[in-house]
Order: sequence, then structure tokens, then C-alpha cells
Amino acid sequence: MSVLKGYMGKVLKIDLSTRTHELFPWTDEDRRRTIGGKIMAADILFQHIHPGMKAFDEDNWIVVTTGPLTGSGCPNTSRFNISTISPLTNIITSSNCGGNFGLSLKRAGFDALIISGRASSPVSVHITEDEVSFEDAAPLWGKLISETQEMLPDDTDKLVIGPAGEHKVLYSCVFSGERTSGRGGVGAVFGDKNLKAVTVKGSKAVQIAYPDKLIPFNKKWTKTLKTHPLTGRQLPKLGTAGLVAPMHAHGILATKNFSAGRFEKFESVSGEELAENHLVASSACTTCVIRCARSVRVDNKVVKGPELETLGLLGANILNDNMELVLKWNYELDELGMDSISTAGSLAFAMELNEKGMWDNGLKFGKTDNISETFRKIAFREGIGDELANGTKRMSEKFGGKDFAIHAKGMELAAYEPRRAVGQGLGYATANRGGCHLNAGYMVVVEGLGLDVDSLTPHGKAALTIMFQNLMEAISACGSCLFTSYAVFPAFLIEKPNSLITKAILKVFPYVGPVVNLLNKFTKAVKLNVPLIQHTYALNYVCDFKATLGTALTVGSHGYNMERMANIILGQKAGADVLPKRLTEVAQDPNDPRTKVPLEKLKKDYYRGRGWKDGIPKYKTLKRFGVALYPDYYEAIVKEAMSNG
Amino acid sequence: MAKVTVRLYGVLRVDTHLAKEEIEASKLDDIFALLNRKVDAIYEENVKEKPSLEHPEKLSFKDAIVYINGDRCSKKNKALKDGDDIWLLSPASGG
Repeated sequence: MSVLKGYMGKVLKIDLSTRTHELFPWTDEDRRRTIGGKIMAADILFQHIHPGMKAFDEDNWIVVTTGPLTGSGCPNTSRFNISTISPLTNIITSSNCGGNFGLSLKRAGFDALIISGRASSPVSVHITEDEVSFEDAAPLWGKLISETQEMLPDDTDKLVIGPAGEHKVLYSCVFSGERTSGRGGVGAVFGDKNLKAVTVKGSKAVQIAYPDKLIPFNKKWTKTLKTHPLTGRQLPKLGTAGLVAPMHAHGILATKNFSAGRFEKFESVSGEELAENHLVASSACTTCVIRCARSVRVDNKVVKGPELETLGLLGANILNDNMELVLKWNYELDELGMDSISTAGSLAFAMELNEKGMWDNGLKFGKTDNISETFRKIAFREGIGDELANGTKRMSEKFGGKDFAIHAKGMELAAYEPRRAVGQGLGYATANRGGCHLNAGYMVVVEGLGLDVDSLTPHGKAALTIMFQNLMEAISACGSCLFTSYAVFPAFLIEKPNSLITKAILKVFPYVGPVVNLLNKFTKAVKLNVPLIQHTYALNYVCDFKATLGTALTVGSHGYNMERMANIILGQKAGADVLPKRLTEVAQDPNDPRTKVPLEKLKKDYYRGRGWKDGIPKYKTLKRFGVALYPDYYEAIVKEAMSNG
Repeated sequence: MAKVTVRLYGVLRVDTHLAKEEIEASKLDDIFALLNRKVDAIYEENVKEKPSLEHPEKLSFKDAIVYINGDRCSKKNKALKDGDDIWLLSPASGG
């Protein structure tokens, strides 16, 4: 059996019910079709799922995948992915993580790990090159994230859950070191399976097809990342927290449960405040040359600092201007094992419900003295915490307030208020995993933060959203950090925003939609590589993939269509790509009717560009991008999706 | 001449250690020149003690993203008036 270079050639499948393991078949053809990462995981789940399957079913699988660049020596490639059916959204979630687990999984000889079944009692799984063992995890159960990791062998890399995962909080996380597989409630699926921890260690090396070419290429790629204004200056110096000020300026900093886009006291919870008064050091994932992570001090301990999302959503979005509290809360959420985005989003919604007299819960905007206790209640599902642990969508179904329940497909939105970045709004609505800014395509980077494309016009946004979604899908599948994708924007355009050339290019940018649509549709016709997109070159040097930009777009589109179809199989209805009315019907600026997301217009363009109808891929679209489904089965699930859709 | 407040954010602030300046200027361009002179002076002072120090201003002020009183402005010759609140930002991305 041939195995492409860059891959270890084996996929490990373990069954928690029987405490056994086996190899799962995965061929070079599969590798070429999916590259790896989240697309590989989606492909594996797509083959396995059936209508009606739920997150907490024993036969729901957790699929942990790496990419071919993981462990290859390429910069920023220690990423791995966890996919499963999300208990928060009831559709596929894919959660990307930067810890060392993926690197070690490959060193143990595996490209991916499938976890099936359910243990009868708490268990930990230990993987080496030679064996897989199962141990009683009763001594670990109930422990916080750091305690759990400290109790596991030092010489291993780990996946662990905290109390929130054990209590099946629908947005609980899985941790690897201090990095988080954060979104969609992967931790709750671990908890449901009684799986407290997985450890892995190994010493195998990733084979490289052309090491003589890869080494100089990596030097060049590293230099590009280290000199680019976004990946080489802003992110290392301020981290993602550096976005707070520009988001406030642009009117897209989610404030008071997304009722506004500017927070008067933003400076107190900004990246500048973090850098000047709280930063102990910047830090990085293994292989990372960007170093966006922050270390701060909480209770005399040096711990991971907050990302933009945490700062924004536990700052402006709940009207808190106390940075010390955000640092403390971030640490508490990490220890309990909860997604800060969904926790904070649920909190803001609960505050507004209370303010409107719809749920007397004691939570108020700007009131901070009961937040830590609320986190604990969520993690242990006590009192109001039991409602909050179910997320915004379910709370809105119980208490009302759907118009201001800020989620998409059940997943709380990230900190970007989309009414002044309408492409980002389209992305939120159409993202396969729900209200995720990155899976959305991250259009906001061109809508005012990195580049100054007209952020209110719908022109061209659908085509660009599709292209960005597909490209980011492929980059993630490689095992690369998505932040490397920011370096694809020419440095000149970023560094000289006021130059006539930049202004001219950005002026026409929204009108390239028809050309981009052609590229999105006829991906296989794109037979060239573009120097700005380094990942395809890396695939060729590491795997001899013979990849072009067209390959990346094709595989990305394959992944996006397959995830969408998997969601349809799992019960997602036509018409599921929606945002709350606050974002689509209420203008952020009452004097400017353009400051809301024109979602119906954007979706019309988007569906046409994707080859979808009402959010469902047409059969010919699936065929075009290699998503195999029997016609009769397709017809049946589409009929079901259209019913009450 | 107008008395204006200039606030710096992002890399511009971290590199220069200038956060908020009260400046007298008639046009936006004047502000850039004044800030450049200020940064040069600070650098000249500090480099005597630390010869390896790099000049901080890689992203020049004239290339900053500018907001005046909350509105984006890209006209370098924009006339200023008393009390204008000017934000200078560097481009950003993240996730």
C-alpha cells in the first residue's frame, strides 16, 4: 500500500465500549480528496452518520485529525482538529487546536484518531507507537484542567476535559496544554463518553518528499510571515487582542449583546491595555513563528491571556471595563473547560432577558460581582447555570427573545458585530458549524480591519465569502494555522492604506465578484500556483501532491459541500442560514439604513455561487466536488430538509 | 491652528509608546510631521544609551488608518478644528 509522504499512513480507531482498537482504512485516494484535518474528519463522519444521529448517541464518533504539514517543519503547522456531532448545534462541529497533541499523534504513527462507543465508567486512553491502553480515570474525574494535565505523565501530550465537559455543558472544550479545542461542545461529547483524557507519545518522523526544496522554502515562508504587517507585527506585538481598538473604531465591536458596535470604555479592555499593563510575555504554539499568544499573571500565577473574542465578549458585550476581571475570568473558564465565546454570549443574552423582565436571573450588564460564581454554576449545572449551560438558542426557546438571541445554528457569534461588516454577517449565517467567524470566511479582515473594502455594500461579498471559506477550509486541512492565511494579502495593500493604488484596488474589489464566482465554480481549471498562497507549494514539497491553487479550492469546496450535506443528513433544514432579527432588521445607526446585514440579498448571491438551493447543495454540485451520495438517498434527505424548513 | 487630541493604537502605540497627545495643527498632515519629529527625538535620546535600538517607526504615521471624531478619513490635507478627536490605528487581523 502506497502512502503519500507527509502522512504516517495509519488511522487509529478505538472503541470505548469494548476497550479495543483497530486500524481504520484510509487510502492515498482519500488523502488526495481531503488533504487531512477538518475535511478528512468530515469525510470520515460523512461515511458514518445517519439521519437522526445525535451528539450524545453512543455511536457518535469523535474524530481527531492532523494534516500532512503537521510535523513537517513548515511554520505554524502544529494544528490538529477535532470533529464530532455538536451537542450545541446538533450538526457537525470542527474545532481546531494549537497544542502539541497533533504533533505527537503523528510521532506515534497515526494521522488521525477515531473515538467510538462509550465507556461504562470514567476512562483515560494512552497511545504510544506500540500499544493502546485504557485506564480507570476515577482519580481524574472532577479535576480542573490544569490538575488533570498535571496528574498525567509528563512525557506525553494530552487531550483533557474539565468539570464542564463532565457535566455536559453544551459548549465545553477539550484542552491540549493551554490551547483549546473550543467551539461546539466537543468537551461534552468526551464527557458523555466518560472519556476524561487521552495521552499520546511517539518518536517517529514525518517523511518529506523533497527535503532539499522544503528547507529553503520554509525559510522563505517564515520570512514572509515574520515581515508581513499582520503576522509579523500586529499579531506578535498585540496578539488578537490588538483588534479591540480597530473594531471599536470601525463600529464592529459587539457591545451590550450586539445592540451596538462601539464601547465607550473600550480602552480599558483593549490589546494596548493588555500589552502595556498586564503582559508577562508573548508565547506560541510549537512551530509557530507568529507568536500571537499572551501570558499574563492571575493570582501570582503566569497563565494564558485572553484572545480578542474573550476580551470583546467579556468586556464590551457585557459592559465590563475591568481588564483584571477579564484575565481572571479567562483563567477560570480555562480551568473549568468552557468556551469563552459561547459562555460570554449566553451570559449577555441572559443579562438582556433579565433587563427586559423575561427571566429573573440576577445577571445585569455591567454587574461583575456574580460572574465567577455563575461560571461555576454553569460548569456544574447548578441553578441558573443549568439553563446557561444549554446556550443562547435553547434559552431563547424557553424564555423568549429570539430576535436578540445572538447565535447562528445554535452557536453563539464571535465578537464581530456584523452590521457594519455585512460580508462577515453572510459568513456567520452560512458557516457550516454555526456562528463562527473563521468558518465564516473571516471577511471582516477586508471589511475595515486589514483592508478597507466598503464594508456595507453587498457587492461581491458572496463570491468572496465562498472563496475565503473554501481557501480557509483547505489551509486548515493542511494542518496549518489559519492565521497564516492573513499573509496572503499583499503587504503593500496593508501597509499603505491611504495610497492611491491601494484605494483604487479596494474600490474595484467588490466588483470582482463575477470573476471570483467563475474561479469558485471551475476550481479544477485553475492550474497555477499563486506565490501569495504558500500552502500549496508546501503540500508539493512535503507530499509531492502536485497541488495548485485549483487543488486547494477544489478540496476546500469538497469539504464545505460535504460538511453541509452531513448537516442536512443530521436534520438541518432548508432555511437554516439565518441571523437574529437584531442584526438583519434593525439598523445599527438609525440614520443609516445600510447598517444592517442584507442577508436575503447576500444569500441569494451566495447560493447561486455555491450551486445550492435554499442552503442545500444541488446534486450536480455534489458531483462536481466529489461528494458521493446515492441519488435516491439524496432525494429522501432533501425532501426531509425541505419539510417544515 | 486647531487644538486637537490624537490617540494612537496598535503597533503605532506599542512601538512609539505614545498613547495620547494634545497637538496644535491645522491639517492632518501636520500631525504626522509633528509625531514623526517627536518619535525621532525620543529615539535619538534613547539610542545614546542603547546603540542597538531600532527606530520604532516602521509603519509611518501617514500610513495610519485615521478616524476623526469617529469617522474614517483618508484625506491627508483634511483641515482640523478645535476639539477634534483623532485616532491613528494600524491594520489588524486575528481570530
